[in-house]
Amino acid sequence: MTESAGAKARAGSAIGAQLRRIPAAQRRAAILTAVSVLLLAFPLIDRNGGDIDAAANACAFATLALGLNIVVGYAGLLDLGYAAFFAIGAYTYGALSSWQIQPQWSEFWEPFASLGLVARIHAEGVPDVVHMTVSFWLGMPICGVVAAIFGVLFGAPTLRLRGDYLAIVTLGFGEIVPIVARNWPYMTNGAIGLNGVAPPRLFGYSFGVESWPFYYLGLLMIAALIFISLRLQNSRVGRAWMAIREDEIAAAAMGINRVSLKLLAFAVGAAFGGMTGAFYVSKLQTATPDMFMFPVSVMILVMIVLGGMGSVYGVVLAAIILQLLQSWFLQDLTGWVHKLGHWVGSSWDVQLAQSISGWLQRVDLVQSIELIFGIILVTMMLFRRQGLIPATRPTPALTLEQQTAHASRGGFALPVRGIEPKKAEPQRAMIEIRKLTRRYGGIIAVKDLDIVVETNSIVALIGPNGSGKSTTFNLITGMDEPSSGKVFLLDQDITGLPAHLITQRGIARTFQNLRLFSNMTVRENILVAMHSRTTTGPLAAVLRTPRSRAEEREAEERAIEIIGAFGNRLLPRANQMVKELSYANRRRVEIARALASRPKVLLLDEPTAGMNPAETLELSDQIRSLRTMGLTVFLIEHKLNVVNDIADKIIVLDHGEKIAEGTAAQVHSNPQVLEAYLGRKAAHA
Amino acid sequence: MTYNDVLLQQVINGVSLGAMYSLLALGFTMVYGIIELINFAHFNVFMVGSFFSRWVLKLTGLVGQRVALTGFPLVGTLLLALVCVMLFCGLLGVAIERTVLRPLRNVPGTAAMITTIGVSYILFNVILLTQGADAKNFPNPMPVVVWKVSGADLRLREVLLWGISLLLMGGLHFFVRRTRLGKAMQATAQDQEAARMMGIEVDTVVMTTFFLGSALAGAAGLIFGLYYNFTSYVIGYTAGLRAFTAAVLGGIGSIPGAMVGGVLIGLIESLGGQLLATRWTDVIIFSILVIVLVLRPTGLFGRMIIRKS
Repeated sequence: MTESAGAKARAGSAIGAQLRRIPAAQRRAAILTAVSVLLLAFPLIDRNGGDIDAAANACAFATLALGLNIVVGYAGLLDLGYAAFFAIGAYTYGALSSWQIQPQWSEFWEPFASLGLVARIHAEGVPDVVHMTVSFWLGMPICGVVAAIFGVLFGAPTLRLRGDYLAIVTLGFGEIVPIVARNWPYMTNGAIGLNGVAPPRLFGYSFGVESWPFYYLGLLMIAALIFISLRLQNSRVGRAWMAIREDEIAAAAMGINRVSLKLLAFAVGAAFGGMTGAFYVSKLQTATPDMFMFPVSVMILVMIVLGGMGSVYGVVLAAIILQLLQSWFLQDLTGWVHKLGHWVGSSWDVQLAQSISGWLQRVDLVQSIELIFGIILVTMMLFRRQGLIPATRPTPALTLEQQTAHASRGGFALPVRGIEPKKAEPQRAMIEIRKLTRRYGGIIAVKDLDIVVETNSIVALIGPNGSGKSTTFNLITGMDEPSSGKVFLLDQDITGLPAHLITQRGIARTFQNLRLFSNMTVRENILVAMHSRTTTGPLAAVLRTPRSRAEEREAEERAIEIIGAFGNRLLPRANQMVKELSYANRRRVEIARALASRPKVLLLDEPTAGMNPAETLELSDQIRSLRTMGLTVFLIEHKLNVVNDIADKIIVLDHGEKIAEGTAAQVHSNPQVLEAYLGRKAAHA
Repeated sequence: MTYNDVLLQQVINGVSLGAMYSLLALGFTMVYGIIELINFAHFNVFMVGSFFSRWVLKLTGLVGQRVALTGFPLVGTLLLALVCVMLFCGLLGVAIERTVLRPLRNVPGTAAMITTIGVSYILFNVILLTQGADAKNFPNPMPVVVWKVSGADLRLREVLLWGISLLLMGGLHFFVRRTRLGKAMQATAQDQEAARMMGIEVDTVVMTTFFLGSALAGAAGLIFGLYYNFTSYVIGYTAGLRAFTAAVLGGIGSIPGAMVGGVLIGLIESLGGQLLATRWTDVIIFSILVIVLVLRPTGLFGRMIIRKS
């Protein structure tokens, strides 16, 4: 990464160096303006109708790519049948505004006729029929909504499954929709295609069969969808999607309702596809099932892969590149190859040259576009998975000063907002576990466990490896379901609740083997954790309502505050990708992230693993100061000196059963504990 | 023919189709069992196998269905085609694994799956561009021998195809259960990390899995041609999706499951086509895929996959 960046910097010319002095935001704005002007002026520069038509089609594919980008790029759900939503939108518009469906005229249609949605057609000798004449500007959003409904319908049963199953189900779905279209002539006119789809009209002017109005409409759609995509990306919703993409289980632990957010991604993506379907079919004024087959889904996937998953500008660029390849470059190249063949044939008069020449003159590279798609997919995955324009950029290295941090003692100096000191009620149980049991087949991981974690205390759970400590944590936080027994949080039964609801109730956790969102920055990781304490929905995120703006600002402030609590260990790295951090810093991010969800109780699974003695002491102090702030801490820890130092109560597990409970001194003198830890002989020695 | 005879005939057809789907499903299920990857390239390895076996049969001098062989020449020709196509497809599978999938084995997310789609698409288009879009006549040396079972026809070709399938599945079963490498495969499917620590070379196991799965797909390609008397570049997509459904129905990762699932899908296809309409066959099979995935994701014989947290 750094090597290639260095090479690029060296290769950069003097002009490049000059350009780099312009602030990045201004540079981006300048590029955007230049590209927009160029795109707007395109039909004036190039007056070839075929080119403009190809450009209008490119617009349609760019909007499809933007839609699939929400599903694949943001939420990480591989949809191999995306063309199905394109088809649903197209046929919905066909039903609303073409000669396809002509029911008999009846009273029922009167009110629609007065709204101008249908017209009464009279012909001699036959009963009057209804002609659907819904305006394009009304029809397009309807198509979006219908496609979104189908997205939810098809997503709902399958989104609970593993991601790879989803791929095959969407593939099947993508195959079924054209089959249904072919076998349902009433709606679709089968293989022959829709009949007389109405083009859009604007101020009495019909778009007709001209390409340039569609081109401008397409540009407008791209602009709108880019705007929506970017707004969503940098919002609570977008962050939740990316968290699901990075690590589903951790996302649930952050209070994210995975099913509903995945459905939302599916619905938004499908809506984009449906609206594009209306656009495309009104441009072609017909639609056949063949237009929506698997190759279309693959082509859109190629755009995402080529441009960069999750990269809004990348997928638009890729759509343009593929269209250029198809409509211009491959044709020109074919022409050149034919000329080469002709030249070879006329230059050498030998058998071999003649056969090569004949072959060269027959080559048609435009036919091989799908082969090129396949090659693009494989090459990009092997050599440049982030795509042409990566969605995330590597962050610059820290200065030496920023990198050096010394262990500091004394715990968190700053109060952390959102964690209010509790009034002393030490005898009340924060978490209570009764007769908790978890069996895996014949193995009993946790057996009849009773644990009470008192409010505002630090309780440590220790025991040899495999004694059921992490399983206990998973059972409390809803990552795993108990075979029997109950879990209570402040006397409320939370047994069997889904993980995100448990987080919402006030239990936050860290994971033993780190489950961070590694392709997101430290700051974003913290922001994700505030999901259950914020409310901005997709609409508010796109419109950026005053409330959502205020909420976002407050979330940002709190995130910086929490990061700041860890001093110069995390603060200079706030905008770095988590995967670039050291192991100890990643552990700190896990704790910071858990704190950000405003918990009542914090479950820490081996928080000091991998830390050196000085860092361990630093963290111990910090955990102690969490209690001072009013939090309850329940931790698993192997370092007994840490446990002895900070825990009010120690619980020892062995083979899934509690073998001892009490203060450090009580536990250490317990013979069973000695046996479990040191072995039988040592205990009796 | 009475209605019952028609149904019996469809059962015979269904079992023949099912034998082919079983062979194809085995490749999906074995690869999934070992590296948890849905191998979309498998669809078209099957299709390429069908074209390759057609080429081999043509090399032996067979054209169309005119030449009927009997006795040793028939067995010899079929065996030659079977061995050649299995070897070729097995090596193709290994080549795919070595060149593009191994570098991505430990990359999280959808990268490996997208790569297999790319490979599948490349195979598809290479055949389309070199062989053309029209369906190709498939040489068939089997004589027309028909037995009457009640009122239904049982043809020699069906019996032969069942025989080949049973032989291959039996061989696979023996390999996985009895041989050293087969046991290593089982261990790797259970827990790759532990298998590695026990000294099993996981790379070899993965390669073997791809070889066996792809070889069986090649055999299925030959069977497709012999059964339908044609082949085409599009056959991989439909047959692949059905075979995958078979693997899911039987329980993905389970070898006996794939065999049973394949036959069930074959029966559903032939009987469903008879009772409803052939044009809805794909819709029926797809619905089965979704229903199984939702209600019983482990399939009929699937083992419970405990997710590592």
